[in-house]
Amino acid sequence: MSIFSQIWTVSVLNFKSLRMRFWQSMVIVAGLGVTIGVLLSMLSMTAGMKQAYFSAGSPDRAIVVSLGANGEGNSSLPRASAAVIMDAPGIARYKDGKPFADAGLNTNVPVLRLNGGRTNAVLRGFGDKGIALRPEFRLVSGRMFEPGKRELMVGVGAQTIYQHMQIGDKVIMPDGEWPIVGSFTTGDILDGQLIGDAATLMSATRHPNYNTVLIRLASRDSLATLSHALTTNPALSVTVMRHSDWYKMVSDLNTGFLSMLAYVVGFVMAIGALFGCLNTMYAAVSARRREIATLRALGYGAFPVAVSVVLEAMLLSAVGAMIGAAVAWALYNGHQTVWGVNIFVLAVPPGLIGLGIAWALMVALLGGLLPALGAARRPIAEALRAT
Amino acid sequence: MKYLPLVLAGLWRKPARAVLTFLAVMIAFTLFGLTIGMNATFDAVEKNARDDRIFTGARFGGVPLPIALEQQIAGMPGVAGVAATQVIPGYHQDPKNRVFVLMFDDNVHKVMTDYPLTPQQWDQIRNNRDGLVISRMSAQRWNLKPGDTFVIDAPQTVRADGAKSWTFRVMSVGDDIPYFSNGYMFGNYDYFDQARALSDRGKVVQLYVLSSDPTHTADIAQKIDAAYANSGTPLQSITEKMALDISNSGVDIVTVDRDIALAGMFMVLFLVANGIAQSVRERFAEFATLRTLGFTDRGVIALVFAEAAAPCLLGALMGVGLAALVSSNISHLVPASIGTPPVPTIDAMVLLWAALSAAAVALASSALPALRLSKMDIATALSERV
Repeated sequence: MSIFSQIWTVSVLNFKSLRMRFWQSMVIVAGLGVTIGVLLSMLSMTAGMKQAYFSAGSPDRAIVVSLGANGEGNSSLPRASAAVIMDAPGIARYKDGKPFADAGLNTNVPVLRLNGGRTNAVLRGFGDKGIALRPEFRLVSGRMFEPGKRELMVGVGAQTIYQHMQIGDKVIMPDGEWPIVGSFTTGDILDGQLIGDAATLMSATRHPNYNTVLIRLASRDSLATLSHALTTNPALSVTVMRHSDWYKMVSDLNTGFLSMLAYVVGFVMAIGALFGCLNTMYAAVSARRREIATLRALGYGAFPVAVSVVLEAMLLSAVGAMIGAAVAWALYNGHQTVWGVNIFVLAVPPGLIGLGIAWALMVALLGGLLPALGAARRPIAEALRAT
Repeated sequence: MKYLPLVLAGLWRKPARAVLTFLAVMIAFTLFGLTIGMNATFDAVEKNARDDRIFTGARFGGVPLPIALEQQIAGMPGVAGVAATQVIPGYHQDPKNRVFVLMFDDNVHKVMTDYPLTPQQWDQIRNNRDGLVISRMSAQRWNLKPGDTFVIDAPQTVRADGAKSWTFRVMSVGDDIPYFSNGYMFGNYDYFDQARALSDRGKVVQLYVLSSDPTHTADIAQKIDAAYANSGTPLQSITEKMALDISNSGVDIVTVDRDIALAGMFMVLFLVANGIAQSVRERFAEFATLRTLGFTDRGVIALVFAEAAAPCLLGALMGVGLAALVSSNISHLVPASIGTPPVPTIDAMVLLWAALSAAAVALASSALPALRLSKMDIATALSERV
């Protein structure tokens, strides 16, 4: 009999007897179900936040910030610098023949959460090409803000989290109340933010400088040209990044801590589950010792027996992981949430579920291996005599 | 006490099972200690929040406040004191090592009286232009001791000579403040202000306001904001109670922590319940023998419960101990680029909750086996034909 058919026969026999060890086996299923459920629930937050950030970036755009800035709010570009930046090579031309670039503002405005808590929302100032630069921008209701007017638009996510964010509501600004004239969606992190006209906002909030310049690249390859021109210009002290890379960095900064926390908790729980798995598999092997010895006496090899034990552990773990993943998905996937100023939708994407199952299989492999070796090594005669 | 040898013998019947169960329980309680301990920290921060203090900053982000506001607000009725701070945000050596230094003016020690700095340490800040008092956690993280120099690169904070790096001397190490979960570094505002570019001087980022009547703190915060609503620098004042309330952060982290701890308990419950059920099943005849020897029903049940409780309680104790060990070394365990989570407070309450949870797990997992034992027909059980 080939080794594969041996493994097959022993494993089938094994799985058929699982019913007799139902509750015992449930220790593995429950242990990994809980572990993977908690891991994926926590990671749904980072995955959701990453999705919101990643979709805000585009490889066709570049962002210019002050040297070393790791957030738009930390960056400051004087008006003169902005003008120099927009004259650089590598920038696409807009219909009007001018550079397809926009100097923007990124500041905060105090708002109230629906539960009454005070917080700050991100308020962006767009120049005349701010919207054209973002083809993902869609007007949802109301109208666009007009340049030079003291009015704001609000993202659809912000509307569901903050008070007084409907069209016609007023937002308190340094120079009085500004009406909300429209709502928009971009399908990314901007959905939790407000926008208005950059020049009007800058005078109202007394911001002398822009925060960033956003650029449509002439082509995807022209980043190097642009970057070289700007970083070698002694009049400027800036960092140039592809917009997609920028958001990858920002999202890493924002999710690094949460990811680490999730992985640490997932790891610690996996160790707990591993001990449970070892326990169950040792008991299973011990319960089947006569059966295993009989199989061995009939000529089955030690290897197929060992493999069947590991396979059993892996099957049970995978079932647990899938239950855990299903619960995490049902509870959190698609739910909107807030973390600091970030409003986004929690996500349990297939990749994450795959990670959870792999995580559980790893535990099963470790937890099945020792009992499997024990089963395979046990002298046949002794095991047959055992009661 | 006479049961003790019996309990031990029962546990040690399958040493592998006993050890693995104990280890799994211990790990679950390590997690329990860390999460519930973190909640204890949030609680402590919130409880220690003073009801007579207000944090005042710019209402609209990024606008520095003129330090003259300190004097003006100090003159408002109901205000007992005002102090000013500026912050130098930057990094140490590598942009990944983000760090900040708070620069305190002379009034901070009068307003932040609950900071655990000694009068000598406040004097060290006041009398040493480039002196720093740092927290134990910061000292550990950056490997600093009194007398060392500490350089912070601050791209946004320019010196008069155009340089963007600031050099400090560590004067002494103070006790940690739970609110500064990543540690603190306090320096001298006047030195800092005079070293800045002329156009940046006289600016602060936050004012600490002390109200003379704790019951009117919220009113005073409102009055301050109202007084400056139409000024060049509109203000946003938040009472310390509200500022330090973790439930205000958007995500209900307290519930998340509790859920993680519960998930761990659920896992352990399955494991312990299975182990004890199996152990009782295997030893049915033995228990019947005990009954014939004169053990009462209750005595046998107590025996089963003790067998379930032993790994739970021991695991809880060791697990919480491990959590305490992790907490006290957290700044070594977490890379500086990520920042540290609020350090869990492993106190008697956490231990008590852990012990209660362990007892609950033991009780729940021994209930069914105990029920079976109490319904046992001794004769049948003795014949091992159950």
